[in-house]
Amino acid sequence: MSPRLLLRLHRIGLIAMAYFGIFYVLVNSAAFPVIAGRTRAAQEAFGHSVTVLGAQFSWLLPLPVRPDTAAGYLQWRGYGFFAIIFAAWGLFSACGAVRRDEERGLVESWLSSGVSRLRLLVSRGLFFAALSAEIVALTGAAGWLGCLIAGTPADVAGLVGESAALWGLTLACFGIGLLISQLAVEFRAAAATGSALLVLMFLLDSIGRSSVHRAPFTDISVFFLFNQSNAVAPGGRFDLTATILLFVIGATATVAASVAFVRRDIGAGLIRTRGRHTPELHEVSSNPLLRTPIVRGLWIRRIGALAWTAGMTVTAASVVLLVNITAAFFASTPTLSPYLRGLPGNVHTVLLALIWLSFAQALVAIFAITYVSRWSADDSSGVLEMQLAQPVPRWGVLAERAAELTTTLTVMCFVAMAVILALAPAEDIPIDVGRLLTATALLMPFALTFAAVGALLAGWRPRAAVVVLSTITVISYLVFELGPLFKWPSWADDLSVFQLYGTPLITPVFVGGLIAMLAIVVVGFGSAGVALARRDVAA
Amino acid sequence: MTSAILTHGLTKDYGSGHGVFDLDLEIAEGEVFGFLGPNGAGKTTTIRLLMGVIHPSAGTATVFGLDCDRDSVAVKREVGYLPGDLPQFGGMRGSEVVAYLGGMRGGIDAARVKELAERLELDLGRRFREYSRGNKQKLGLVLAFMHRPRLLILDEPTGGLDPLNQQTFHRMVGEATAAGSTVFLSSHVLSEVEETCSRVGIIRDGRLVSDMTMDKVHELRFHEVVIEFGGEVPEAAVRAAAGVEDVAVEGTRLTCTVHGRFDALIAAISGHTVVDMVSKEPSLESIFLSYYSK
Repeated sequence: MSPRLLLRLHRIGLIAMAYFGIFYVLVNSAAFPVIAGRTRAAQEAFGHSVTVLGAQFSWLLPLPVRPDTAAGYLQWRGYGFFAIIFAAWGLFSACGAVRRDEERGLVESWLSSGVSRLRLLVSRGLFFAALSAEIVALTGAAGWLGCLIAGTPADVAGLVGESAALWGLTLACFGIGLLISQLAVEFRAAAATGSALLVLMFLLDSIGRSSVHRAPFTDISVFFLFNQSNAVAPGGRFDLTATILLFVIGATATVAASVAFVRRDIGAGLIRTRGRHTPELHEVSSNPLLRTPIVRGLWIRRIGALAWTAGMTVTAASVVLLVNITAAFFASTPTLSPYLRGLPGNVHTVLLALIWLSFAQALVAIFAITYVSRWSADDSSGVLEMQLAQPVPRWGVLAERAAELTTTLTVMCFVAMAVILALAPAEDIPIDVGRLLTATALLMPFALTFAAVGALLAGWRPRAAVVVLSTITVISYLVFELGPLFKWPSWADDLSVFQLYGTPLITPVFVGGLIAMLAIVVVGFGSAGVALARRDVAA
Repeated sequence: MTSAILTHGLTKDYGSGHGVFDLDLEIAEGEVFGFLGPNGAGKTTTIRLLMGVIHPSAGTATVFGLDCDRDSVAVKREVGYLPGDLPQFGGMRGSEVVAYLGGMRGGIDAARVKELAERLELDLGRRFREYSRGNKQKLGLVLAFMHRPRLLILDEPTGGLDPLNQQTFHRMVGEATAAGSTVFLSSHVLSEVEETCSRVGIIRDGRLVSDMTMDKVHELRFHEVVIEFGGEVPEAAVRAAAGVEDVAVEGTRLTCTVHGRFDALIAAISGHTVVDMVSKEPSLESIFLSYYSK
């Protein structure tokens, strides 16, 4: 298998992790003086606040070490948070390499070309190891650069050690993913089982960290092993044994997966169960939902829609429950408290607005991108051609896509809103129902702005649509997040789509932004309709 | 009477000589038209132009008088379409795919779907990803035939089907034409065309090189004859016989090809002892290979 082909197969993970790892680390380390203050006293006060906050978040992140320094803050905010992201990347990459490629028929095709099973799996493993090493190294380099910009250079040896631990964690999860994929028959089943295992290991580590009693088997959690190192923080340590164990877990799981891969049938799991005999069916499905415009798409993608709704709801509930803790943190941090004083209204309401709507904006934007990705995939897979083989106009297909997206968004956002309304009184957070309703409703044109741009790109150049839209979204988000932090000129802030949304929970609706969003939606979908009508499908 | 399909100078130019060029076709209602050509000749491009999924660079195509590009929605109401490759419907069951696409069409004749699925022995209860290539093709045929369209446009319809199901497909085409439907099917399998079509068009490098009825095709036919003589071989008389070509003699065995009637050959060998005589009709495939090589 050529490296070019392997690079192509891993391109989405590569781009996403490069974006995420490098930007996230660079921003969090370089912005440290802005967040914590430039004087030593301010940084110590900030460090104290983070230590208090960190104790309350110990179920989520390891306890902070020297958060009064850029390197310590990077360790806590960056590498502490990276564990789950890089672990998930390793797991899903492995499930994709085995099951997704098997479902596409690629594995069968490669094996029929004379490549041995062992060689196939080893080459995938080695390539991912090289790829993840590069991303981890680039992330470490970005952290070093960020700390340098912040004026407090990080210890290079510490960064190397922490990067090695992160690489070990990623490879361990890749190996686990390879092994689980030998047992599951479908990608979705492998990914779901692997995710459940990761969550279990995360919880084992989390319980062990945040309670006096260590849960059984905590020591075999890959997250526990990773968190034994905190080498970036001044005074932190690098646990060589734990890091080696991560590599051993990865190697052992990969070897076991290789044995299973050699033994099992392609397209089947290692353990085959005798299927139930069901009589042949010759009737068309009587489900009326499949025949109803808009509803049919919702029904086909109901599991995904439910998962997104659940994700939005859990995020909303978490934000409400964290508002009081965060308020205390802001109030006790001299550099952060002025941000709250400048905004109108109750501090808890303001924080809820800032945190929840920031999350909600990011989530609905990502959700819109996933829909654009499917529209592009429908084009290349021939689904669009088959839809257009029915007597439906092209604009009708586009309108149904937009309506389906809007309906799902509405359900997601308003269910999350209902959860906020239900939980906020118990947390003593005053909520203006009218404003929350307005803020939630405004998420529709906001998300549709991305969808409209994506629809135009998908109607014009389907293959490039997702990459271009993702780039626009990331840049837009970074401008929105970093602009105020680094005091960029207002014209630069206004370039962000996120800016157009405003802060409707605490300030009046940004009418200019709303008009701009609606204009983008109308022009975007209109142009997408023209582009789709004019271009050749399936050519 | 309105033609089922009519194209004038239909062109789709992808550059570098790829595409379809100056295609003039007229297919009457009720005809079964076989569109033949090797891979990459332009068969699928022509079909996609008729279905309005791609736009012509020049020329026009109409189906029952409706412009395939401008009136593509109206055209598709009249058409049952089987693409060359069915798209991936993933975890959807066959019965759900039928309901989904049938719902987009505006209505489903459940009895007709059941009849087709039973005839093709297609289990609609299984998930699309579990279907073999042949079962996917059967599902495509159900989707194309289920609304009894006036025109069937089928891109290589028997790909992946076993011989029994191929026979079922041929019967389905026969029944559709008996009910007044028109069929336009592309293929590079000549026996399939021979079985089902009343007329064929041959496309090569994007250009229609021949358009003829099956009777005309059969006129192109010839027979390969092998004669075993008991004694002297009348080689000179056979070579002189009208319609006899490619004469070769090996010992007492003579081989030749006969175009048209056998009278001249029979006259040439009369009076000689014939031990054995075999006349073999070559396949349509051989005829077209011979045609292409000219």
